[in-house]
Amino acid sequence: MTGMEEYHNGNEGSFSSEEADAIVKECIESVIGGDDYNQNQVNKWTATIVERCLTQLVRQGKPYKYIVTCAVMQKTGAGLHSANSCYWDTAMDGSCTVRWENRTMYFVVSVFAVAIA
Amino acid sequence: MDDYQTEEEESAFVVEESVEATIGRNTYQHNRVNQWSTSVVEQCLGQLGKLGKPFKYIVNCIIMQKNGAGLQTASACFWDNSTDGSCAVRWENKSMYCIVNVFGLAI
Repeated sequence: MTGMEEYHNGNEGSFSSEEADAIVKECIESVIGGDDYNQNQVNKWTATIVERCLTQLVRQGKPYKYIVTCAVMQKTGAGLHSANSCYWDTAMDGSCTVRWENRTMYFVVSVFAVAIA
Repeated sequence: MDDYQTEEEESAFVVEESVEATIGRNTYQHNRVNQWSTSVVEQCLGQLGKLGKPFKYIVNCIIMQKNGAGLQTASACFWDNSTDGSCAVRWENKSMYCIVNVFGLAI
């Protein structure tokens, strides 16, 4: 039994913000990559991103309910502010927010994980 | 006295009131928006908590200046369909849009 294995086993049941961050970034890049903002496609992109992130998170097999939200905004100089507030069990529940951009648009994806009792 | 069909309707009402009270009469101002979005979520969460229901809540607020940009939001949830729910409230005035999402998860 190696030290590394024990560390991973200890974390099985808790929410890892770093892992979620990596999952989200990978999903965004695989769906959008180098595409430019396109009003006709945006609907499909956001739906695909949230669904793909959710599937990857659930695949981790942890005892959590998940909420994934995604906001995409075209770069035209407008200001955008996003805030989140959560009423939950701070010991068990967690969230992670990823900000991503390319030449023509901004993405803000948030993952919320709520422990199942 | 106030009778709502569902939890979602009640939450939507609470959110609309909170947004109106916080930013109702204001014009988009870059240096104040941070404070406004924080106030909106805190106010909504406070009012929802006061309802005294056995739920954990997540409140998300987006404020965007009106200048012709396109904005798209989406969310996906992995939860218990029979007990959990969400509601989205879209609000606007002459200078900005405000979108608030409330997610309620049964304890």
